[in-house]
Amino acid sequence: MSVSREDVLKIAHLAELEVDETTLPALAEQMSRILVYVAQISGVAASEAVKPFIPGPDAVRFRPDEVKPIPLAFGPDTLAPAFKEGFFLVPKLGQFEEAPE
Amino acid sequence: MSDTNDALASAKAAADRIVKAKRLNACLTPSKELRTSLLRQAQTVHPSGVLYGMPVAVKDNICTLEFTTTCGSKVLEGYRSPYEATAISKLKAAGALIAGKANCDEFAMGSSTEHSAYGRTVHPMDKTRVPGGSSGGSASLVAAGAVPAALGSETGGSVRQPASFCGVVGIKPTYGRVSRSGLVAFGSSLDQIGVLGRSVHDAARVLSVISGRDPKDATCEDRDPLRLPTVPESLQGFVIGVPKEYFPPDLDAGVRRACDRALRLLRELGAAVREVSLPHTAYAVPTYYIIAPAEASSNLARYDGARYGPRFNGSMDVRALYRHTRGEGFGAEVQRRILVGTYVLSSGYYDAYYRKAQQMRALIAQDFRNAFDRGVDLLFTPTTPTPAFRAGEKTADPVAMYLSDVYTVTANLAGLPALSLPLGRIKGLPIGGQFIGQAFLEDEMLEAAYALERVVPAGEEV
Repeated sequence: MSVSREDVLKIAHLAELEVDETTLPALAEQMSRILVYVAQISGVAASEAVKPFIPGPDAVRFRPDEVKPIPLAFGPDTLAPAFKEGFFLVPKLGQFEEAPE
Repeated sequence: MSDTNDALASAKAAADRIVKAKRLNACLTPSKELRTSLLRQAQTVHPSGVLYGMPVAVKDNICTLEFTTTCGSKVLEGYRSPYEATAISKLKAAGALIAGKANCDEFAMGSSTEHSAYGRTVHPMDKTRVPGGSSGGSASLVAAGAVPAALGSETGGSVRQPASFCGVVGIKPTYGRVSRSGLVAFGSSLDQIGVLGRSVHDAARVLSVISGRDPKDATCEDRDPLRLPTVPESLQGFVIGVPKEYFPPDLDAGVRRACDRALRLLRELGAAVREVSLPHTAYAVPTYYIIAPAEASSNLARYDGARYGPRFNGSMDVRALYRHTRGEGFGAEVQRRILVGTYVLSSGYYDAYYRKAQQMRALIAQDFRNAFDRGVDLLFTPTTPTPAFRAGEKTADPVAMYLSDVYTVTANLAGLPALSLPLGRIKGLPIGGQFIGQAFLEDEMLEAAYALERVVPAGEEV
């Protein structure tokens, strides 16, 4: 599986990740190598009936649905880059963009 | 000396030793802050706890109230968690002192602790080599004698591989044995907090303390904490399987000699040793490097500069804020894994990669069940294919780096407990051997490790 520079840009767009233009050729080459390497599992026969393996408890235990104080040592206002009157502040959403072809 | 004085003496000595080991770049906590915190903790530490006064360093992807939690990343630079991991609360309740945050590969993604935004950690016995990773800071601090034990985390071998490289003991518990609450998520179906220690006993007693049920983690089993076994006189009655796929013809000669010697000692201790087959082993690394990046690409979506962590160039548009913050904040290896993870989950590729990898994971887990169903109690393998490699040797080739996990990822995929202990030295560098146990039977694994540790000349050349 060969990944092109354009493929990397498309995937980076999906991942909300700005990729440095100068690293694109190396990144495309490394991703191609990784994807070729992991694709070797496609040659292994596996029945569709194979049940997915999920580690951990057989059934999820739910917590009691009760209102409790939030057990934090300090609030989000201390952590947030910008916070006002109970809200995280972020810049406005610009125009919706189309994914690169 | 009063109890408080004992703890104070321990705190002061630990601070001195960690500062002395500064050249390793293994501890990310500034020396003054570390000393002040340790002395403060010693004043209030629980005197009746089973780990009273024991300094335990903590990998920097485990949340603590005392220190920042950066995950070795610029995207969390200066981040102070508003809560602490359950494992940390349990350590403190048992009287342990939290002895600073240990360097690691960024978000635990790496096998060499070269992928930290805060510089690489140095191998304690050879500064040109890596300590392994991603819990390389934890392993380095234990190997240097700065702390008797440290917490690390495992997603694909990140406790056992550095333990092998640095000549210490590393335990990865069964998935669900230790709460993941407060462990920063990388691959949620694989992640577990593990322990590194200077001996099996040191690591095991820390594991015992942090294990057990936790209502904050739905994937943590509703079980009592692990009870430590006694050191056995012999291993009579134990059946140890040796998977032939872990001993290929091109295995490093020194690693083979170390394992052969350990197997001879296990037989002398009374264990029966027999060859077994785990036929899907060759597909474990490719399977892991689909599942782990896929889970990582989802887990790391939360780092966007909106709610915590620094914000990079985020003034013009909210999506630009996300992209700049993530592009500037994540290092090269993390970016690569996010991209690979996004790719294998994307429309048109999901079935060929992710779905197929889930099938492979089931087959790998079934291999282990088959071996254990045939009467084998434990498996014994090398932990790593070679001793510690040179810094920079594998950074340009991600696949070569991934292959250093070849013997460790299987236990993570199958959710099984595993332990690495030192077997000897190859040209002065430590090499480890690994026991893999049955789910929630860590006690059997520990018994075998206790017995082997007593007789193996781990400090000698093989």
